[in-house]
Amino acid sequence: MFPKRTFLAWVVALCLALVSASVAVPLAYAQEPKAGGTIIVGLQAEPVTLDAPQVTDYNTIRAAYNLYDGLLRFKDESTEVEPGLAESWEISEDGLEYTLHLRKGVKFHDGTEFNAEAVKFNIERQIDPNHPYHDTGDFAYAEFTWGAVKQVDVVDEYTVKITLEYVLAPFISHLAMHPAFMVSPQAIKTYGRDISINPVGTGPYRFVSWTPGAEIVLERNPDYWGKPAYVDKLIFRPIIEDQARLTELLAGGINFMVNIPPDDLERLRNDPNFKVVEQTGMHTWWVYFNTLKKPFDDVRVRQALNYAVNKQAIVDNILKGTGVLAINPLPPVVWSYTDEVERYDYNPEKAKQLLAEAGYPNGFSCIFWTPESGSGMQQPVLMSTAIQADLKAVGVDCQIKTFEWGSFLEQGVVPPDKNPEWDLMAFSWIGDNGDPDNHLYILLSGDQWPPNGFNCGYYKNEKVDELLRLGRTTLDRAKRTEIYQQAQKLIVADAPWIWIDHETQIVVMDKRIQNFKLHPTGPFRFADVWIEQ
Amino acid sequence: MTRYVVQRVLSLIPVLIGVTLLVFLIMQLAPGDPVKIMLGPRASEEAVNQLRRDMGLDQPMHIQYLRWLGGVLRGDWGRSIQLKREVLPYLAGRFQNSAYLMVLALSAACLVGVPAGIVSAIRQYSLGDRVAMVLVLVGFSTPVFWLGIILQIVFGLMLGILPVSGIQSPGQTGTLDLILHLILPSATLATGPMAIIARMTRSSMLEVIRQDYIRTARAKGLRERLVISRHGVRNALIPVVTVIGLQAGYLLGGDILVEMVFSYPGIGLAMVTGILARDFPIVQGAILMVASSYVLVNLITDLAYAYIDPRIHYGT
Repeated sequence: MFPKRTFLAWVVALCLALVSASVAVPLAYAQEPKAGGTIIVGLQAEPVTLDAPQVTDYNTIRAAYNLYDGLLRFKDESTEVEPGLAESWEISEDGLEYTLHLRKGVKFHDGTEFNAEAVKFNIERQIDPNHPYHDTGDFAYAEFTWGAVKQVDVVDEYTVKITLEYVLAPFISHLAMHPAFMVSPQAIKTYGRDISINPVGTGPYRFVSWTPGAEIVLERNPDYWGKPAYVDKLIFRPIIEDQARLTELLAGGINFMVNIPPDDLERLRNDPNFKVVEQTGMHTWWVYFNTLKKPFDDVRVRQALNYAVNKQAIVDNILKGTGVLAINPLPPVVWSYTDEVERYDYNPEKAKQLLAEAGYPNGFSCIFWTPESGSGMQQPVLMSTAIQADLKAVGVDCQIKTFEWGSFLEQGVVPPDKNPEWDLMAFSWIGDNGDPDNHLYILLSGDQWPPNGFNCGYYKNEKVDELLRLGRTTLDRAKRTEIYQQAQKLIVADAPWIWIDHETQIVVMDKRIQNFKLHPTGPFRFADVWIEQ
Repeated sequence: MTRYVVQRVLSLIPVLIGVTLLVFLIMQLAPGDPVKIMLGPRASEEAVNQLRRDMGLDQPMHIQYLRWLGGVLRGDWGRSIQLKREVLPYLAGRFQNSAYLMVLALSAACLVGVPAGIVSAIRQYSLGDRVAMVLVLVGFSTPVFWLGIILQIVFGLMLGILPVSGIQSPGQTGTLDLILHLILPSATLATGPMAIIARMTRSSMLEVIRQDYIRTARAKGLRERLVISRHGVRNALIPVVTVIGLQAGYLLGGDILVEMVFSYPGIGLAMVTGILARDFPIVQGAILMVASSYVLVNLITDLAYAYIDPRIHYGT
C-alpha cells in the first residue's frame, strides 16, 4: 500500500503528464517545417531498378519515386491530376491531341536541360523498337501507358504534342504514372542499360549511392525547380523478414517501415514513440466465378455464394483490420465509386434459398484455385480456406488447389478455349492510374477476356460492355462518373465475383516525422515531409 | 604434390559442369516463367516476347545452356533478369559478404569447439564434460531462425548494443561498423558447426588417448600437457579437420536461414531471391560460385592432412 501522500503525488503527476501530452500534440502540429534529418525506410525487398519507366512493383517505385517528376502529377491523397513538369495542357476537341506546355528552367540532376526533346526521347525510348535507346531497358508498362500513342511531336522547345490513335479518356492519368517520369536522355546515352543503377531525374531528391543488399541513399536536390524538400537524406534498406524489420524499427535502425505484421500492428498503435498512417489502397481482393461453366452461369448461384461468405469475419479475423470490407469491385478511393449497389451481407439462409431456387437444394461441388502468395494477394490460402468453410456450410463443397504465383497466372488466366479447370479462382488487383476504367474495363468488360485483359471469369453483360466502352471514350468527367456508377450497379447485381476486401496501406514511422501522407497509387512522397527536432 | 593438385583441380571441371547442368535443368523444369514474373501480369505479349528474345530464352534449352557456359568461360556471367545488372560483380560482392560471415563463424566455432572437445575428452564424465556436452546438444538442436530472432531481441532491442540486421549502418562504411554487424549473424551461424566440431574433437580425442603410444609417452615420463598437445591433439585433429572443411564449404553456401533472418546480403539470400524470381543467370551463377568454392575448400582440407599427419603423402 502506498502512503496516501505518495499516492496523491502520483495522481497529480499522471494528470499533468496527460494534460501536457494532450497539449503537446497540437503544439507539434503547429511547428514550422524544418529542414534536416534523415528518413530511413525499411522496405520488404531489394528494389530491382531505379529507372522509373522500368518499374513494375510497389517496393521499387517507393525507392525511385522521389528522384523524378512526372509530366503531370497526382494530387496528394487523390488520383486527380495536377500540373507536374507540364505546367498546363490542352486536349483537342476530338480527344486525340494532347498539347503539353512544359515548365521552363527545369534541369535534370546531371545539369542537362529538360525540354520537349527530352519528353519525346523518353516516350519513344519506351515504345519505338527502332529507337536507338530502346534496348536500354524492359518497359513492362509501356503498352499500358502509351499503347494509344500514335506520335510525339516537338512543337517548340517547351511544347510537345502527343497524338493518339484512338480516344482514350484515362490517358490524362497516364501522364502522371511512372512511365511518364522524365529521365535524363544524356544519362541514358551515357549509362545504357546501367541507367537502372545510375538514375538521373528532375525530382526533389537525387541519387547518391546504391549498395546492393544494404541501402539506397538519396539526398535533397538543392537546385530543385520547385520548393526544395526538407529532409536531407532518404535511405532505403531492404529488410526481408517482417520480424527483423520490426525489431529494427524498435531499435532505431530504421524510422519508417512498411508491411507491418497484422499481429504487431495493435502494439505499435499503442506505442507513443510511433505513429501509424493508413489509407485504403487502390486494391480489391475477390474470387472469380467461371461464368461460362454450370452452375455459375446462373446469377442466382453467384448471388447465393456471395451471401454465403462471411466477408466481414475474414476482414476482422484474418486480415485483422489491414483491409476494409468490399461491397463493390471498385475501391472506394477511385472516383465514381458508389455504395448505392446491391448488398450481399452474410446470410447463409438466403444463400440456401437462392441455391434451391436455382435447382441446387443440396449444393454441388467445385474446384477453387488459389495462389500461395502473390502481389496484392494478402493471405490467399487462409482467406480461401475461410471461404471454403463458409461455402461448405451452405452445401457447396469446394476443393482448394494452391499454386506458385507464376504458374497460377500462367494456368489460371487463360482464354476461354483453353477451358481452365477452376470454377472459382482467387485474385486481386492494384490500380495503376486511379481511373475507374483501369478496374472496371480491364477486369469486367466482355472485351477483356484473356488474353486481352483480366476478365478471367468471362463475365459478359452487353449493357455493361456498352457503358464501359462509352466511359473510356467520353472526356467529360461528370458524364463519365454517371456512366461508371450505372455500370457498378449492373455489375454488382450480376455478382460475377465474390469481392472480399480492399487492402489498407499501412506504414509506421517515428512520431517526429511530420506531414507524411500516403498516396493511393502506392509510392512514398517525401518532398513535403519534415522531421521535428 | 603439384601433380596431385593439378589433377584435383582438373577433376573439378566435370563436377562443376554436372552441377550447373543439373541446376539449369531444375530451373527449366520449375513452374513459372521468369519473364512473366518480372514484367508482371500487365505486360503485353509483345513486351514479354521481346524480353524473352533479348535474354535468349526463346532458344532451345541446350543452346541456352551452352551459351551460358561459353559466357562463363569468357568471364561474362550474363545479366540478371530481375535486377537488370551484371551477374558477376553482383554475385562477387555477395560472395565476399558470405565469406566474412563464414570466416568469423568458423573461427568462433573452432576456437570454442576444439578446446571444449579436448577438455571434455581428457576429463571424461566430469561436471565440465557433462555441461559442455549438454550445451553442444542444445547448440546443435537450436533452430537458427529462432536463435537469430532471440539474439536480435536481446542484443539489439533490450540491451541496444548491436545492430540487428544488414551489413552496415545507414551511410557508414567503416570496418568496425561491419564487424558489429557480423557479430549476431556469425554467432547464430557458429552454433551448429561449433557443436559438431566439439563432439567430433571429443570422440576423436577419446579414441586417441587410449592408444598405446599415449601410454608409452606417459610411461617415459613426459609431462601430461606435452602428451596431450604433442601426441594426443595432433593425431586427434585429423578427422576434425575433415569436419571443419566440410563445415566451411557448407557455410560458404551462405546459410540461407541466417542471411534471411538478419537480411544479410550474402550469396544465400541472393540465391533465394533469384529462385523466387526464376532469375536463371543469378541462380546458376550463385550455384557455380558456391559449388566451386565447396570443391576448393575440400581440396584445401585434403592438402591440410599432409601437413597435420606426416603419414599422408600425395604423389611426388
